[in-house]
Amino acid sequence: MAMTRIPQNEITIFQYVFFIVGAQIGIGILSLPADVAKGSGTDGWIAIIFGGVLSIIASLIIVSIMEQHPQDTIFDLLLRYFGKWFGKLLSLLFSLYAALAATTVVFTSIHLVQVWVLPQTSNYWIMILFMIPGFLAARQGVRILGRYAEIVFYMTLWMPLLIAVPLKDGHLLHLLPVIKEGWLPIIKTVKQTILSFLGFELAFLLYPYVKEKHLAKKGIIIANGISMAAFVFVTLVGFIFYSPDEITEYVWPTLSLLKTIEFPFMERFEIIFLAAYLFVLSTTGIPYIFTAVFGIAHVLEQSDHVRVLVVGVGLYIIVSFLYTPPFADLQAFSDWWGKTGTIVGYIFPVVLWLYMKLYQWLRGGKPS
Amino acid sequence: MWIPSSLAEVEATIQATWGETPDLVVCRLNVRQLKKDVLLLYLDSLADKNSINNNVLQPLLFETHDATNVEEVAVLIGQKKYTNLWSEVETAVFQGESVLFIDGEQQALLLDTQGWPQRAIAEPQVESSIKGAHQGFIETSGKNIALIRRYLPNRELKVKELIVGRRGKTKVALLYLEDVTHPEVLKELEDRIRMIDVDAVVNTGELMQLIEDNPFSPFPQFLLTERPDAAVSNLLQGRIVVVVDRSPSVMIAPMSFIAFFQTIDDYSTRWMIATFLRLLRTLAFFIAIFLPSLYIAAISFHYELLPLNLILTVGESREQVPLPPILEAILMELAIEMLREAGLRLPAPIGQTVGIVGGVVIGQAAVQAGLVSNIMVVVVAITAIGSFIIPNPDMSESVRLIRFPMMIVSSLFGVIGMAIGLMILVIHLACLESLGTPFGSPFAPVRFRDWKDTVVRFPLWTMRSRPLSAHPIQLKRQTKTRK
Repeated sequence: MAMTRIPQNEITIFQYVFFIVGAQIGIGILSLPADVAKGSGTDGWIAIIFGGVLSIIASLIIVSIMEQHPQDTIFDLLLRYFGKWFGKLLSLLFSLYAALAATTVVFTSIHLVQVWVLPQTSNYWIMILFMIPGFLAARQGVRILGRYAEIVFYMTLWMPLLIAVPLKDGHLLHLLPVIKEGWLPIIKTVKQTILSFLGFELAFLLYPYVKEKHLAKKGIIIANGISMAAFVFVTLVGFIFYSPDEITEYVWPTLSLLKTIEFPFMERFEIIFLAAYLFVLSTTGIPYIFTAVFGIAHVLEQSDHVRVLVVGVGLYIIVSFLYTPPFADLQAFSDWWGKTGTIVGYIFPVVLWLYMKLYQWLRGGKPS
Repeated sequence: MWIPSSLAEVEATIQATWGETPDLVVCRLNVRQLKKDVLLLYLDSLADKNSINNNVLQPLLFETHDATNVEEVAVLIGQKKYTNLWSEVETAVFQGESVLFIDGEQQALLLDTQGWPQRAIAEPQVESSIKGAHQGFIETSGKNIALIRRYLPNRELKVKELIVGRRGKTKVALLYLEDVTHPEVLKELEDRIRMIDVDAVVNTGELMQLIEDNPFSPFPQFLLTERPDAAVSNLLQGRIVVVVDRSPSVMIAPMSFIAFFQTIDDYSTRWMIATFLRLLRTLAFFIAIFLPSLYIAAISFHYELLPLNLILTVGESREQVPLPPILEAILMELAIEMLREAGLRLPAPIGQTVGIVGGVVIGQAAVQAGLVSNIMVVVVAITAIGSFIIPNPDMSESVRLIRFPMMIVSSLFGVIGMAIGLMILVIHLACLESLGTPFGSPFAPVRFRDWKDTVVRFPLWTMRSRPLSAHPIQLKRQTKTRK
């Protein structure tokens, strides 16, 4: 089944790169400057680089796992190595992790919109609005999501230029001295950056669809590199513009940076920016919704994931009627995503890799 | 059913088959060549009488050499066929051919004497052009194919003819360059046309709707054009041209989104000007979809977006207006759409009256009466102009249609609604396919090399390969002649 479906559903190496970049750059970047500043002051950007290196290592492990069975998604792979029941259980856990990520992104986006643009609109209306493009995109396959991620990447290239505008009023002195309190706080802060880099674990799902598989490793390094560059850039702009103490007071320092931009014909430019930023958020949320739905459909042995998607979208809308998460809950969601993401993105690949090596060694060195 | 050999039986069969056909001519003659009686059958309304008189009747009556069978009968018609099937006789008569039956022969002679009423080749009405050719397609597929062949005297230009419609029996010709067009794409189109089972296809537009990929999309997925030069330009990009008999527009498939915003003039104008015009059209596309919704969003949600002076101007002009912005906008947009539709179907002299009435009423009078604000009139006018700049009428109509949901969503959610609306459009364009090729190419999927001929137009000598959107199998278009 999977053998015949995938060749028609190929993505190019660029789509694969931008798919992962899109999944990585989302809600993390909005609060990242404040998060790292709390841990290690204006040396936080070094922690981001360490975080990037870690995520590159983890991504490379993921790709080398997937290389063993180039036609398998993670869900096929788990069934292959862990048998029907335990494999399905692990697949379900992976899907639930993706669902948690999607939920965090969706509810945080709604909260952002409510705080910055539409304070009087109920969250279920915004949820219904968001679920329309969510449904339309997630019911398609990886190929369409790849195309979408690619075009959105190019559509949003103007955004970093605008974020750089406040630099003209900044002070480079804020960054000095570099490594003022030694390496320890920096290394401790690396943990804070993990949430932002999550997204590369979707390579577990994407790999079999990539057309140029020999470039997959290079591609994922580039993807992590682009995300890392974006994070470091935004963080540096934040540090240069705000004073080291001031920045920790903002919840979303990246958006606050934009408040300083004004045009003669337009004030409060950050509203337009946030509306456009919804595209960036959509390339984070939709892949996770797709992964969750695709995984659950796989566990339920359904050939098409649309039915599960309909249930999922319905659940989101119903939940949004009953429950408006306060900001503390959203932070709890993010924490949970960060914690489970550490397991799924960093620990799980290492364990799986060791397990596969052991399994193959016990089978006499032949991959099954 | 076979053709009977005696003329008496033939006459009886004709009587039985064609009752109530006053324009059917059955003419019995004695032919000196054969020394036999023959029967000439044709439809007066579809055949060319001059041709029959001069090229058929004259030799039959006055030629003196001896003939012993059908093949030797002398007539001055190049295209003649023989048949012994009655059904073929019927088809031929309805195509305007004349049929010659000979006493004692099982075979009949089909003579090409077609001459139905047709229009002369004229300037294209809908897609006028400044520098392009002034010949447009007409309602006869043979002439239309000839117009295309004049541009491409090349044996790779193939014509595949299909018949569509049980009653209509419309000739549908597929024209393509065999060494450029992807065979799978061609096969897909051919299969889809062969699947059609309808009474008749009256128009190319009908055929298009019967075979398009996604009937629930607001966008046209195939291009209809009445310009031979546009058709040829698309043929050279590996696309297929579908000529439908009796329809003055031909269909081009597969199509990409951006091609609907290009005209043939773009290529005959110098590249800087062409690029400017294309950017202008792209801007017009966004204005036509988003300007009214942006205005609604700004004055009903985000007045803090606007600087103070502008807010005061807007407030002043809206002072007397009783309607909320969304109703005001929909009122004006509907008025414009009605004006357009009224002007389109009316004969030209009355059409002018509509223009004047509309211009006065929905312009100054509506403002003075306090029904709408000045600024809304400006917004609606710019939007209307924006939608008229889009060169393809089908796409222009799609854009006008999309505007309404955009206005509604922006009146509910402001710019957030607009962003989601745009997102839905982008997702839709990324999903949409035309004959299985990506409709959004070269933007979704991104193919940078093909961006040379999209919202910008690079100099012609830089466009050395064909765009990939139609999956051509031969890419080279020209050699490098300049540095």
